Amino acid sequence: MTEVITPLTQALAEGKLTRAELRGFMQRSDALAFRHLGLWLLVLAATSALVWLALGTWWLVPAMFAQGVVMVHFFSLQHECVHYTVFRTRRFNDWAGVACGWIIGLPHQFFRYEHCDHHTHTQITGDDPEQVPLPRTIWGYLWYISAIPYWRTKIGEIARHAMGRLTAAERRFVPKVAETTLIREARVMVVVYALILAAMLAFQWAGPLWFWLIPLMMGEPVMRFVRMTEHVGRPTVADMRDNTRTNLIPKPLQFLCWNMNYHAEHHYAASVPFHALPRLHAKLRGYVHVEPGGYIGAHREILAQILGKRPRADQTPVDPG
Amino acid sequence: MSGSDLSDWHDVIAVAAMEKGWVTAATLGARRLAVYDTSSGIYVSLAACTHGGANLCDGYFDGHVIECPWHQGAFDVRDGRAISAPATRGMKVFEVRVEGGMVQIRL
Repeated sequence: MTEVITPLTQALAEGKLTRAELRGFMQRSDALAFRHLGLWLLVLAATSALVWLALGTWWLVPAMFAQGVVMVHFFSLQHECVHYTVFRTRRFNDWAGVACGWIIGLPHQFFRYEHCDHHTHTQITGDDPEQVPLPRTIWGYLWYISAIPYWRTKIGEIARHAMGRLTAAERRFVPKVAETTLIREARVMVVVYALILAAMLAFQWAGPLWFWLIPLMMGEPVMRFVRMTEHVGRPTVADMRDNTRTNLIPKPLQFLCWNMNYHAEHHYAASVPFHALPRLHAKLRGYVHVEPGGYIGAHREILAQILGKRPRADQTPVDPG
Repeated sequence: MSGSDLSDWHDVIAVAAMEKGWVTAATLGARRLAVYDTSSGIYVSLAACTHGGANLCDGYFDGHVIECPWHQGAFDVRDGRAISAPATRGMKVFEVRVEGGMVQIRL
């Protein structure tokens, strides 16, 4: 078989990284994972306490928003688990990933297949199943950030899978042998969510609303805002030096997103665990695209392109040679 | 040693040249191979992941599990079994022996 060129083989071939260095970066640790997870859950416990204290007052709104901002970052943990880069023990990644998926409504097995295809076809229009297109207008930008299209897509996806249907686009990355697993996963999710809803109605149980569902809806636009900074506004080309953006953000936000702001480094070497990404970032300095202004800087760039103040990155001419 | 043995076994890499407790790249003719040093012995497989074709020698290796560097599909190096999505097909593994300090595989 002819050698497949991946971002990693490219970096190794260009001498930016040696295999010995890569081995060092890839080492995983259950202890570091549990330490980060423990602190992370303490933050969630703190926002949950705020919600509890604010029940029955108008402070409930900002408290639920704070809770939601933390909760939507379960996605970051789930994403790391998809890559088996949180825990050294592989099954812990499976368990944590499934749990995160239940909390944020993202079936873990399906996400795994979809996300793998995103790594194969990053930013290639028509092939990357997770590509967020650069919006044409400010309204399109705000519409995406509202998370309404996101929830519409995700709820539709789970319902369709529960009915035993996959789209032709999904069948491009889901192997035939995995279809049954994905359909069962969606069906179990639908049944369990329905049981929770029934219990809420039957027992006048409002807890999930204040501590989970409303915060999740309030927080998801923040995650859409964050997710846009990873690739939107970068050229729609295969070269990882161009198509992905690393964002330098404050340490607390970095903690919340499990260092996934080092997104270009992550795409270069997806087997490198979250705790080693800052070191990989230092190693790949000058080799990947870095936005020093962080999330805000990335959105300034995106908005400048939408408003026509800078050339649109999705119209970047591809060098034929 | 039978005549068949003489023709079937091929040198792959010197044991001394292998990375301890890790995966080492090797070639045999046109074949790209991955050689694994484990607590239970040495194992050899084809180096290309059966999912996307990436080079498993650049992957994370732990115990008896080699993980593809591209999508983190994983295989048990003892029998080539795929143990983690998106890999669904096993990888080709070879019969291995060590002779005169050389790792050999049987074709």
